[in-house]
Amino acid sequence: MAVITIDGVKLNVPDGANVLECALENGIYIPHLCHHKDLNPLGSCRMCVVEMEGQEGAVPSCTLKAEDGMVIRTKSEELKRLRMLALELLLAGHPEDCSTCPKYGNCELQMLIQYIGPKTGRLKMRVKGFKENSANPLIVHDMNRCVLCGRCVRACNELRGVKVLDYRKKGMETYVGTLHDKLLADADCRFCQACAEVCPTGTIRDKLASSEKKKEDYVLPCKAECPAHTEIPRYLRAVRDGDMDEAIAIIREKLPIPRILGYICTQACAKECKRNCLSDPMSIRLIKRYAADKDIEKKWRAKSKQLPDTGKKVCVVGAGPAGLTAAYYLRKQGHAVTIKEAMPTAGGTTAYGIPAYRLPRDIIAEEVKLIEEQGVQIECGTKVEKPAELLKDYDAVLMAVGGTVGVRLGMPGNDLPGVLLNADFLRNCALGKETGMGKHVIVLGGGNVAFDCARSAVRLGAESVHLACLEARDKMTADDEEIEQAQEEGIVVHPAQTFERITGEDHVTGVDFMKVKAFYFDENRRAVIEKEEGSELHIEGDTVIFATGQKPDLNEDSGFKLFRGAWIVVNDNTNDKQTSIPGIFAAGDCVYGTKSVVMAVQSGREAASQIDRYLGGDGDISEQLASGKTPDPWIGVIEGFAGEKAFQPQIDPAEERKDNFRLFDHGICDADICAEAGRCLQCDLRLQIHRPRTWGDYADTKEA
Amino acid sequence: MGAYAKAKELGREAVLEKIDSLGICETGVYREKMTDHLKAAEEAAAKEGEELCLVAALNNADTDCVFLELVKKDPEKIIEGCAIAAIAAGTEKAALVLPEKEEELAASLREKAAPYGVEVRNEFINIRRNACNALIHLAACADLADAFNDCYVPGIYVSVNGGELQKLPEEKKISELADLSEAKAVQVGYRYFTAEECEASLGQLYPANGMIRVLTQKDCIVDDTQKKLHQSRTQSCGKCVFCREGLIQLEFMQTEITAGRGKGEFADLTKEIGEAMCYSTPCSMGQQCAGIALSAMGKFPDEYEAHIKKKSCPAGVCKAFIRIYVDPSDCTGCGDCLDVCPKNCIEGKPKYIHMIDEIDCDRCGKCVEACEEECIHITTGKVPKLPDRLTKVGKFKKKRH
Ligand SMILES: Cc1cc2nc3c(=O)[nH]c(=O)nc-3n(C[C@H](O)[C@H](O)[C@H](O)COP(=O)(O)OP(=O)(O)OC[C@H]3O[C@@H](n4cnc5c(N)ncnc54)[C@H](O)[C@@H]3O)c2cc1C
Ligand code: SF4
Ligand code: SF4
Ligand code: SF4
Ligand code: SF4
Ligand code: SF4
Ligand code: SF4
Ligand code: FES
Repeated sequence: MAVITIDGVKLNVPDGANVLECALENGIYIPHLCHHKDLNPLGSCRMCVVEMEGQEGAVPSCTLKAEDGMVIRTKSEELKRLRMLALELLLAGHPEDCSTCPKYGNCELQMLIQYIGPKTGRLKMRVKGFKENSANPLIVHDMNRCVLCGRCVRACNELRGVKVLDYRKKGMETYVGTLHDKLLADADCRFCQACAEVCPTGTIRDKLASSEKKKEDYVLPCKAECPAHTEIPRYLRAVRDGDMDEAIAIIREKLPIPRILGYICTQACAKECKRNCLSDPMSIRLIKRYAADKDIEKKWRAKSKQLPDTGKKVCVVGAGPAGLTAAYYLRKQGHAVTIKEAMPTAGGTTAYGIPAYRLPRDIIAEEVKLIEEQGVQIECGTKVEKPAELLKDYDAVLMAVGGTVGVRLGMPGNDLPGVLLNADFLRNCALGKETGMGKHVIVLGGGNVAFDCARSAVRLGAESVHLACLEARDKMTADDEEIEQAQEEGIVVHPAQTFERITGEDHVTGVDFMKVKAFYFDENRRAVIEKEEGSELHIEGDTVIFATGQKPDLNEDSGFKLFRGAWIVVNDNTNDKQTSIPGIFAAGDCVYGTKSVVMAVQSGREAASQIDRYLGGDGDISEQLASGKTPDPWIGVIEGFAGEKAFQPQIDPAEERKDNFRLFDHGICDADICAEAGRCLQCDLRLQIHRPRTWGDYADTKEA
Repeated sequence: MGAYAKAKELGREAVLEKIDSLGICETGVYREKMTDHLKAAEEAAAKEGEELCLVAALNNADTDCVFLELVKKDPEKIIEGCAIAAIAAGTEKAALVLPEKEEELAASLREKAAPYGVEVRNEFINIRRNACNALIHLAACADLADAFNDCYVPGIYVSVNGGELQKLPEEKKISELADLSEAKAVQVGYRYFTAEECEASLGQLYPANGMIRVLTQKDCIVDDTQKKLHQSRTQSCGKCVFCREGLIQLEFMQTEITAGRGKGEFADLTKEIGEAMCYSTPCSMGQQCAGIALSAMGKFPDEYEAHIKKKSCPAGVCKAFIRIYVDPSDCTGCGDCLDVCPKNCIEGKPKYIHMIDEIDCDRCGKCVEACEEECIHITTGKVPKLPDRLTKVGKFKKKRH
């Protein structure tokens, strides 16, 4: 240890510690620009100069190492003069107009100018004349604003070990760039954006930065978009390192049914994955699936929490993702939880909507088993008719009844024999019951549910399957992959069609369509459909399946205040899920409509936390299941990293898959999975970098 | 037996002893006992836990590179010296670093250097990345090689007015090395000195870059300073604010002065920036490059005053202050000047007195050379009365008053 004195304040610091850091950590502000807490000191800007007893002249404090007995002054007229001179020299090559700069308001240089004072104007100003370079994905370089503090160079070379950026000279001007001004991707940049993070000025910028979003959200869009905010890059890293036990522990910190999600998650995360800007997005779902399939239940089980029994009883109605999740966490908070489920097994729509060829049933059963092992009682085949009465036996109730009733569109012929509803059709199909389907099937609807119906029909032996929807091909909500696979299986897709009528006298004989010319919403947000004249189309069929939405199996008799006669109204969708009946909460699809399993999981988590609080708990359902080690900021060089394409899952050919309900997507193979996970840009690493400390963080520090 | 082989046989301790007893110095910007220098580097590396490497190079500030002659003349000697220094420093890693532009020279040395374990590279020394290395000068390598060839004589290497590099005793007076009768100023190392100051010895003024150069009445100190600053700017790596931006400001002021736009406050500003540069930069470039401007302005105020206040260049070098005119009484109207003028600013036709449009003329002097009658003159003073319109040869009368 060394005792040093800064501005009369005695500090106990480690021998050899960085004097500037010692000051900043102890509430003494010294202006600085090239220094950054996470980078090796450089000593190039000279803003941080101080005076040291026993040494003539000013010395930069960022390169000064603490020695016992050092006496340091951070303020004097001479220091002020030197800092001003340093700033003036810096600004001589910097644009004078801040107002057009995207960094305006967040710029460390700007704040430094405010601190040190306005320059005198005695120096020769110049414009460097570099062009702004937006040719790279994710990152903009505007070298005219560079003050050559060298932070980006150190971040890229010393912190990340990627060695893409370095000082270069063009004519008489020094700037920062890649060798021979190559594109970042061609220079093997890893797009970690550490350079943009540490740049104090508006020179290297994140293209996605937005004042409307929280920084964490635009920096890490995958996590932001995941409704449950799963720590995606953390588990991708674990998979990359082959540590599946750690990976699943990270996943389970947020998701109690990771295997189900690994097979069928809609992946909002991947749609916003920053790798979209470089090559293919990360295969987030498939990586999760791999880790979940390899779950040895070791690490997370050891740390899984179970609070002592509280003596409180909770009834959850519905064993879908929302209900199962809420029940799991409520049990872990110490409450006695019973789920009442109408169907013969748990799983909700994942078991009675999503077809088995996408999600094998044993996987659902295993996930449910883990939840039961936690102590949750599940009573299947028990339909709750009068929810309010449950409050007699339970301290709190959660309605998680989903949307299990199909919606029939109003149109001629909609109740002819041969007209089926998506929910019934898929449920019967799942139960192995007679569906009432004929030989020639027409599915109305363009979402994933419609494709589940169409593809199930193929598997049940339909001779022809047509699928028609109002949306144009590029507006269809089903995934492209889903549509392509359906077409491979022989399903004929008819986008942009109006449903005119279902034809037939006493049984369906077909459907009349017309081509949509334009489809939009008018100023009153009413849908307007313009039809193309003479575009009448008749498709023959003996079965029509409506796949145009589903709603909860509820009506006014339930006692709840409902929205549009079916959906349960809660006080606040996120923060207060209590219904119009005190003590009864609601979560999942029955509140906000059919969305996704992961959304239902998150809704269930929120409900668990709120019910726990309602029952006197602290509502903290969070868990630390993984080892939580800090990732290595040194990512090194990987040749051709930016262009790496996604590794593809193994998918059975159409001929092999279309006559059975067996799983056909076998995921990414053992040999590829680590490499696929290794493609992640690790966008979260950037969030480890310390934020800059400016004089505003220190009380009354403005230079007099 | 070669010098290196001898040193190797002696072993590190004996090598250090010998270097010490001969009083060999590291000949960088400052002279310092070689053994002290190496020890300090060893300690610095040990403290940081880094492996020490011996790096032999020129000073970053050296833009003239006269010492390269040592390498060109006897490459083996410098390589051996470098390898001996490595023995003395107690490391196996040794590198000979040449300026970036000397790629061919470096390539020609690699094969020779390999047996000595000396790596040859081209780079501008990154002073920060070499913080834990023993940096020594190429000239010191020559001294070390001499020492182990038993032919070491103390002295300082200099090249006078671009002449051959020679090693001279440090007591030698600068005034004895060059004819100073016409001298306006003398560049010794990284600064200018007056002729009187050159009564001092080599050891006292110590030209670290080996340069002694006499500037005569025909040389403009402001112009020379600008050129030197420009060379430094070209060579500076630009990582440090004071070196990069300071040089730009210093050069700008010199350029303004030579262009007739000099301002009185430039003297103070040069002093403020130049002095701050010396102690606000980590390497010899930043520390030395302002010396030329500081010594020029400090020691030759008359030169600056002439440019700034009297708007004239005493040496007639700065084009802003010279005027070029066709003497109307001697011009024969041949048109030779008109043909060579790149600016097309000479008016005339055969048998008429030619006239130069001073506004467009950039004083390149091509017409002066082209005129066989030698009637186009350069002057720093007044121009005689000239015709204001095309006039036939012989018809222009000098009005007398
Ligand atoms: C065909 C189809 C395919 C889908 N595919 C996907 C997909 O690939 N990926 C994805 O993320 N999402 C998909 N979804 C959406 C997703 O399945 C749902 O958003 C999610 O299951 C909703 O979960 P939940 O728990 O709110 O309700 P549900 O999963 O619907 O569960 C509700 C449960 O409550 C039970 N229940 C209802 N009323 C009562 C009562 N009165 N008493 C007792 N029990 C009752 C029901 O039987 C059911 O088990 C799909 C939806 C459908 C319809
Ligand atoms: S980088 Fe900072 S100081 Fe420069 S223009 Fe932008 S906001 Fe202003
Ligand atoms: S590797 Fe990271 S720090 Fe280096 S240039 Fe690319 S994004 Fe910036
Ligand atoms: S780009 Fe930014 S971080 Fe890099 S040197 Fe310039 S100002 Fe500093
Ligand atoms: S690259 Fe990785 S961390 Fe970045 S958005 Fe995609 S999955 Fe998330
Ligand atoms: S002083 Fe000049 S040459 Fe030396 S490192 Fe700094 S900028 Fe480069
Ligand atoms: S000095 Fe050059 S530019 Fe001027 S008149 Fe003569 S030739 Fe033309
Ligand atoms: S020199 Fe210390 S912060 Fe730049």
